[in-house]
Amino acid sequence: MSENTPTIDDLREIADQVWSAYLDPEGVRPFELGEPKQPATAVSASVSLTGAWHGHVVVTCSSEAARHAAAAFLAMGTEEVGDEDITDVMGELANIVGGNVKSMLPPATLVSLPHVVNGASNRFPTTRQICELAGTWLDEPFSISMWQGRDAGVVAA
Amino acid sequence: MHAIVIDDSRAMRLILRRIVGQLGFEVSDAEDGRAALDLLAGMETVPNLALVDWNMPNMNGLEFVTAAREDERLRDMTLVMVTTESEQSHIVRALAAGAHEYVIKPFTSEAMIEKLALLGLVPTGANS
Amino acid sequence: MTLSAADFAFVAGLVRRESAIVLTPGKEYLVEARLLPVARQAGAASVAEFLAGLQRRPDPTANRSVVDALTTNETSWFRDREPFTALTDVVLPELVTSRAPTRSLRIWSAACSSGQEPYSLAITLQQALPAGWRYHITGTDISTEMIKRASAGEFSQVEVNRGLPVQQLVHHFTRSGTGWKVTPALRENITFQQLNLTAPLPSMAPFDVIFLRNVLIYFDVETKRSVLRSVSRLLRPDGWLFLGAAETTIGVDESFERVAIGRTSAYRPRVQVPAGALGKG
Repeated sequence: MSENTPTIDDLREIADQVWSAYLDPEGVRPFELGEPKQPATAVSASVSLTGAWHGHVVVTCSSEAARHAAAAFLAMGTEEVGDEDITDVMGELANIVGGNVKSMLPPATLVSLPHVVNGASNRFPTTRQICELAGTWLDEPFSISMWQGRDAGVVAA
Repeated sequence: MHAIVIDDSRAMRLILRRIVGQLGFEVSDAEDGRAALDLLAGMETVPNLALVDWNMPNMNGLEFVTAAREDERLRDMTLVMVTTESEQSHIVRALAAGAHEYVIKPFTSEAMIEKLALLGLVPTGANS
Repeated sequence: MTLSAADFAFVAGLVRRESAIVLTPGKEYLVEARLLPVARQAGAASVAEFLAGLQRRPDPTANRSVVDALTTNETSWFRDREPFTALTDVVLPELVTSRAPTRSLRIWSAACSSGQEPYSLAITLQQALPAGWRYHITGTDISTEMIKRASAGEFSQVEVNRGLPVQQLVHHFTRSGTGWKVTPALRENITFQQLNLTAPLPSMAPFDVIFLRNVLIYFDVETKRSVLRSVSRLLRPDGWLFLGAAETTIGVDESFERVAIGRTSAYRPRVQVPAGALGKG
């Protein structure tokens, strides 16, 4: 593993920024680290990293949490939020986290358009999870994780 | 005052439309640089401000900024990039291509408004 | 467990005096949530108990931590802009004339917090001073935690978005981890130290410009007077003092006179006319 690979602390800092900018600007509903009661699986948004580094950044949470995220991001009530809003916001969250992760990776790394899956978590064969920020937001499971491709992007020291 | 928001993310277009709309701007939007140029070609008066994402299909933000600066009609638009691309080299390239300011995602509404104020685009007293 | 109206009004008043932030009724939840960690750290069992203690016995440091907790992420670069414009347009040109023999300036940022002010001053000086001029900035704050942060010079993506023109971002900062760090060129010529303005001040060489912004409001009139007195002893007789947008020395310290500069004011030591001397001829 290259020494530049983002760590869980970096993921935490990026998450803090995203919460303070969009999901919790007033600082009263933070993301809380710790094992949630159920794993986050209902809505999963990811971006792929290619080029000088191969892997994925995944943002996963329950449908409730996704609804609240969309409501916070778009400054709407949770009852006003539609399915398209949820998909778009989750995709943008993956894009923002992925983009910030990318800036810590080798310069020729590219970020794909986000991919959002409902009802099952994203699975990436031939990759392994490097780190995961697992916790809850508004008591709902929420997870941000980084996955690296097994062979590509690994540079011998 | 009129602004155009250019981003392939609908969520981001909505957020920027809201922030800039609250400052009193009339807002148009487009999903990529090419769509934006087409939209702008059909407008009688050109917007004062363009908020431009970097990574978009068909024509990305850097290409749009370059095209806008080379177009006599669009040359006076204030161009603000709004993007996750936060490497120094990207920012320098955007400024060299003619962008006036650069907002890195994630950004708070206050930060966006302050950046626009630095550019003289916020009517005084219109702070959030 | 909601805040009483009186407690809320107390906090709202404090925050309003310090920042442009207005806490309207309905924001009690915000105050509760943000002050709980502050209250706990102060050893109080609840926010109400903490605030009761504060109102009974005013404590400027605790007051400041209340405001800090409610204005996180609000710290801007070149805060209020006008003082920095005044520096560039009026103050520095004058000092460049009067300090020509030494070609060096000393600046004090006396409530430097997480560092945005001293680094903004450094950026301003680097742009406005002619080649061959040197400057030194002293950044002080009552909080050791803040001094550590300011000294490290690292800021998050969200923090650097606030009021810092992007040309200056790329010129004076480099990417560092998930955020940005000041360049060595910006960091040098700045020293940071912990300092309590209400205690006897350490001896320091006098300053040409002092920024004492948004800290006097935490003190009662007597303490304001004594702080201004100590600070004025460290200001050159033809030096410049900048206070916060809503602050003034008028009615507090007659040894300063207010000078209007552009859309802001600065304070300068009043020239003492010897008794019996006539006015300027």
